Amino acid sequence: MTSDIRFLHRENAVFASSPGGMLSLRVDDETYPVVYLHCSFPHSDPERYISVRLPDDKEVGMIRSLSDFGGQTAELLREHIRIRYFAPAILSIKSIREEFGYSFWEAETTAGTCRFTVRSGGGNVKTVTDKKLLITDVSGNRFVIEDIGKLSDREYRLVEMCM
Amino acid sequence: MNLNFPLSERDLQAATGAVGDDIEYCVPSDLSLDGRRTQAYLVIGKEKWACVENGEARDAASIAEAKEYRLVNLVGNAILEAVQADGSGSRIVARVSMQHAPRLAYIARVLNDKANRQPVRIYPNEEERFCIRCGGPLVPGTNTCPKCMNKAAAFRRLARVSWGHRWKLALGLLILVSATGVSLTGPYFQKLLINSALAPPAGVSPDLRMFAFGIAGLAFGLIAGELLAIARGRLMTVVSSRIAADLRRLVFENIQKLPVGFLTSQRAGDLINRINSDTNQIRRLIEEVFTTAIMQTVVLAAVSVLLFVTDWRLALIIVIPAPLVAWLQMAVWRYVLRKLFHKQWRLYDRANSFLLDVLGGIRVVKAFGKEEREIRKFRDYNSQFAAATIQSEKVYSYLAPISHFLIQIGQYFILLVGGYLIRGGELTIGELIQFTGYAAMIYGPLAWFMNLPRFIANAAIAIDRVFTVIDEQPEIYDKDGARRHEIVGAIRFRDVTFGYKSYEPVLKHIDLEVKPGEMIGLVGHSGSGKTTLINLLSRFYDVNEGSITIDGIDIRDIRQEDLRSQIGVVLQETFLFSGTILDNIRYSKPDASLEEVIRAAKIANAHDFIIKLPDGYDTRLDENGGNLSGGERQRLAIARAVLNDPRILILDEATASLDIETESLIQEALARVTKNRTTIAIAHRLSTLRNADRLIVLEKGSIAEVGTHTELMRKRGIYYNLIMAQRNMAKPKSGFRTTAAT
Repeated sequence: MTSDIRFLHRENAVFASSPGGMLSLRVDDETYPVVYLHCSFPHSDPERYISVRLPDDKEVGMIRSLSDFGGQTAELLREHIRIRYFAPAILSIKSIREEFGYSFWEAETTAGTCRFTVRSGGGNVKTVTDKKLLITDVSGNRFVIEDIGKLSDREYRLVEMCM
Repeated sequence: MNLNFPLSERDLQAATGAVGDDIEYCVPSDLSLDGRRTQAYLVIGKEKWACVENGEARDAASIAEAKEYRLVNLVGNAILEAVQADGSGSRIVARVSMQHAPRLAYIARVLNDKANRQPVRIYPNEEERFCIRCGGPLVPGTNTCPKCMNKAAAFRRLARVSWGHRWKLALGLLILVSATGVSLTGPYFQKLLINSALAPPAGVSPDLRMFAFGIAGLAFGLIAGELLAIARGRLMTVVSSRIAADLRRLVFENIQKLPVGFLTSQRAGDLINRINSDTNQIRRLIEEVFTTAIMQTVVLAAVSVLLFVTDWRLALIIVIPAPLVAWLQMAVWRYVLRKLFHKQWRLYDRANSFLLDVLGGIRVVKAFGKEEREIRKFRDYNSQFAAATIQSEKVYSYLAPISHFLIQIGQYFILLVGGYLIRGGELTIGELIQFTGYAAMIYGPLAWFMNLPRFIANAAIAIDRVFTVIDEQPEIYDKDGARRHEIVGAIRFRDVTFGYKSYEPVLKHIDLEVKPGEMIGLVGHSGSGKTTLINLLSRFYDVNEGSITIDGIDIRDIRQEDLRSQIGVVLQETFLFSGTILDNIRYSKPDASLEEVIRAAKIANAHDFIIKLPDGYDTRLDENGGNLSGGERQRLAIARAVLNDPRILILDEATASLDIETESLIQEALARVTKNRTTIAIAHRLSTLRNADRLIVLEKGSIAEVGTHTELMRKRGIYYNLIMAQRNMAKPKSGFRTTAAT
């Protein structure tokens, strides 16, 4: 099987941050003022096989692993992955009220206190790895519980009702 | 949709300092780049924009510095990006969580219009998804905030709908009160029986007349109670079902009047739910209120009074622990059992969907030799489900005896104290029996009342969901002066701009004139606006700007029913209703004669296959014509469309899903039906359009090319490339040159 993946690494690609906070790329002799990073495995392995894409969704190439780049570039790429995949981690759950086919959450997250509504059923609260739980609210915001094993008994019981 | 959020005094000062005194728009920019929720706002002035937070302008620039502003939807958040006019790349203007993403899309459009020195054209009519009062999330699909919900208002509306049945409701109420009264006589007659006949006080001889009276009273209570219960049940079922039927009818009638836009934004399942399960919940509410609720209230009040009148000391023994028992039952159910059952159902669901998966895909499992693996998985699910069942059953097996015991122990104390009082001569045996009879009646209402708030909240939301649809106003309505018009077939689009969400125009400045009887082929990539164009012509939506005229009359001035009945539509996905072939063809003109139906079928090349069917035109179709082939269904749809002799015919991918042979049959039919009719046809397979008088090529919502097939091929533009792409696609597969659009 032939592969037509163009891999980007420190020898052929230079990533930089534009003054306006966007990511730009020079690869071989071409320059792309704006590129976006899409993870192939955003939950299980976000640092490997990252697709670098243009605003019109064409793929420029793939990064096999962030470790193929030096510390500063890798950190820049990490930062942009964090911007694209925004899912505050839930640190503690204040309350979950289930009513009318929706659950109303109030939780302390890495982004601050959040109140959000989750449609019951339909896979809006689902495990994405053995430990990690992904919650998608009615607007499309995403929240994660990094390790459901670390929830208190009370929190686990509340969350379990919505799974 | 709110695009003008109020700013605090400090932020306002910072904003006016950065963009000037005229703040035209102000929306939240609630995420920082490092992922914190913030209280920042993006402020748009006349010439500049700025981001303000905590009384400071964090960032500001001239709007004209960028040549394009675009909203980029990321995962779980969105950013507003500005492409700099000087070619220095792009910059992030603002970042928001998803609830503000639509707002930011409008702002992108505002900024683009301003940057291009054009008048701002936005129509922010999307509804807010947050409570205006408390800022909390609404129950999706309704305008109800679970915190601020006015339950009384919901019930008042229900009362207005129920008003037509008031006399029956009143009669039901009367029967209910009588039934409750009758049920309360039981313990009284028991006391009478015991005190006067079975165990009269010392020195008094048993009274046979009282014995007969007591027995008759008990029998009366029993029989009359049951009879009244039957009458009440029958009456309330009739009334509540009629009220629910009224509501269902109101919802369905209004759904039919609503615009396609509303119907496609609401999932069909959700609407079916509103018609069926929500109205059903309301029916249960009415039944419950007029049977159980009122009865429980009367019983609770009457029994409490009777208990205290009989003996206040014994009454206290009952009344004090009773709420405790009721609460215990409710608490165990709510905090323990419900969760356990929930877990059990979830595991059951998982095992069930696993079964569906594996049995549905059994060929794949066997082909890959994975039977062992699937058996292991099922064993795992099965044992988890069994464990969960055992766990919940265990708790349940404790709960019933314990609560029974607690009720019994109350009775035990009554016997204890009652026995003591009888010994002291302060109470008779009859009174004690009467007392225990009443005491047993108090637990039911108490437990019921504990569940009442939740029940009322659920019913209130069902009422609200139903009335949300009933109250929804059709966006497309006939003007007062709308008139009838016999269509000739001249169509004109004048500078038409339209977007389903007005911040994302799908069609931009469309100018197009179609002569009567002309056949127009619409060509373009997916998402170029072809279907939108014909949706506008059928007036499923109104244009944002410009106008569409038929024979020189704006379509908004023609009665909708009149307009649509003269436009025939054949879609890719033909929808046939259950019923006979005859019913389906006649759908567009119910009073068509049999001969007209056969003629239409002949025009559509459908007659020959219909006549071969054993039941001919009387053939009953399965759901959506499942017993016909795709080509046959399509020909029925064409017959249905032409039966009414429409002056304008719309063909939306009418032959896309058919094989070549069937397509040629349909092509032949279409060639006949499009003759002398204004026809607008959309097709990906360009061969369908070879008969078109003119081809219109749409590209990103604008008309890119117009001409005949030969003219456009010579031009070597978008159309030429599409033709070439289709030829190349057809080559390796079939091995011969495609006949497409030659």
